[in-house]
Amino acid sequence: MYVYLYDSFLRKKKFDSTMKLVETRLTDFGIAGKIIRLQQYTNAFQIIEEEIKRGATTVVIVGNDETFGHVLSRAALCDTVFGFIPVGPENSIAEVLGISVGAGACEVLAKRRKLLLDVGWFNNRYFISRLHIPPADITVQYDDKFSVSGRDSNPMELVVCNLQPFVWEKAKKFKEVAVHPQDGKLEAFIRPVLGKKIIRYIYDDPSIFPFQEMVVSSKKPFIVEADGKSSKETKITIRLAKNRLNMVVGKDRSF
Amino acid sequence: MFQKSPTEMQNEVEHKIYSEDTVETVVGPSVHVEGDFSSEGNILVKGSVAGSVQTSKLLTVEEGAKITANVRAENAIISGEIQGNVRISEKLELTLSARVTGDISCKVLAVEAGALVYGKIIMKGLEDASSKKKLPLKKRSLDKSDMSEELENA
Repeated sequence: MYVYLYDSFLRKKKFDSTMKLVETRLTDFGIAGKIIRLQQYTNAFQIIEEEIKRGATTVVIVGNDETFGHVLSRAALCDTVFGFIPVGPENSIAEVLGISVGAGACEVLAKRRKLLLDVGWFNNRYFISRLHIPPADITVQYDDKFSVSGRDSNPMELVVCNLQPFVWEKAKKFKEVAVHPQDGKLEAFIRPVLGKKIIRYIYDDPSIFPFQEMVVSSKKPFIVEADGKSSKETKITIRLAKNRLNMVVGKDRSF
Repeated sequence: MFQKSPTEMQNEVEHKIYSEDTVETVVGPSVHVEGDFSSEGNILVKGSVAGSVQTSKLLTVEEGAKITANVRAENAIISGEIQGNVRISEKLELTLSARVTGDISCKVLAVEAGALVYGKIIMKGLEDASSKKKLPLKKRSLDKSDMSEELENA
């Protein structure tokens, strides 16, 4: 049995035609199922657990990158197959997974090409695409082996990538790095701040460290943004949860 | 009319080469690393490292970078400064801006004019040849011991 988790923004009129087309295609493929509309404070984990008890075999997230992160940050542990139908703008994860935006995703879902993907874990929650720490006075320790700090104790920006390749803004020389979700490691990108202009920071060239476990600490609380959700922490441990997520992916995936 | 400029094409080629390879570990120019720094992939050092550096692939130390540690790698291209012993299993390349204070051990060594080295250089090919020459001596000593054993038995 299929369960579809719709994001709340899909209620907008401009998505009506796309959603009708998606639902028609799902019926054509014989994989239509129960539709649950997510609210801002809905706990996706509880909903999915209940649906699994009722016999759900596949849970399909319908929405954009934010919906994907919101659902899987809590529910990556659930013992079920996940699918994704990207709708609307801000759908970069779909491209990585090889799923086309809109009704085209129904075909990928019907083919059921499943893969076990790695996900990141930090302070009791999962992140799928990336974790971002804006410039702060942080110290980073990798795999209990070595520590990284900015020269002259400059503040540093940190980005940990799992699914998406990360490209630094305004860094023309920097080549795009393909980060594969199944390579068995997470990738951390560190950029020390050299100075500050009126609004923007001036960054140095980035450092890249693949890792399995990393501890980020600071004397002052720093902001952590993971899959669009932000919180303030003084110490976080980031780990790799290997082959945690059973996901339906497309043929044209980038890994 | 819409042809790509040579720089764009070069960038594309670079991108392809880079993405096909495994992700490199890069130590940026204003970053300091301390501890046992090891990686299974290529390491590129632009900043400073203290402790030890180890990789099973290529180590590249750029000009201006400083490593205060013992280094182990399969291949290495050094353009910066190293204070510590360097142990390379295959090829070591020292460019004109390289400064090495410590013993070097490698199989193949390429030194550009201007590179500075203060320490012993041991190359594996010669080490093998010297050990081969010593073999007959060992054989002789073994024969002697065998002879004495035989005499004792008699």
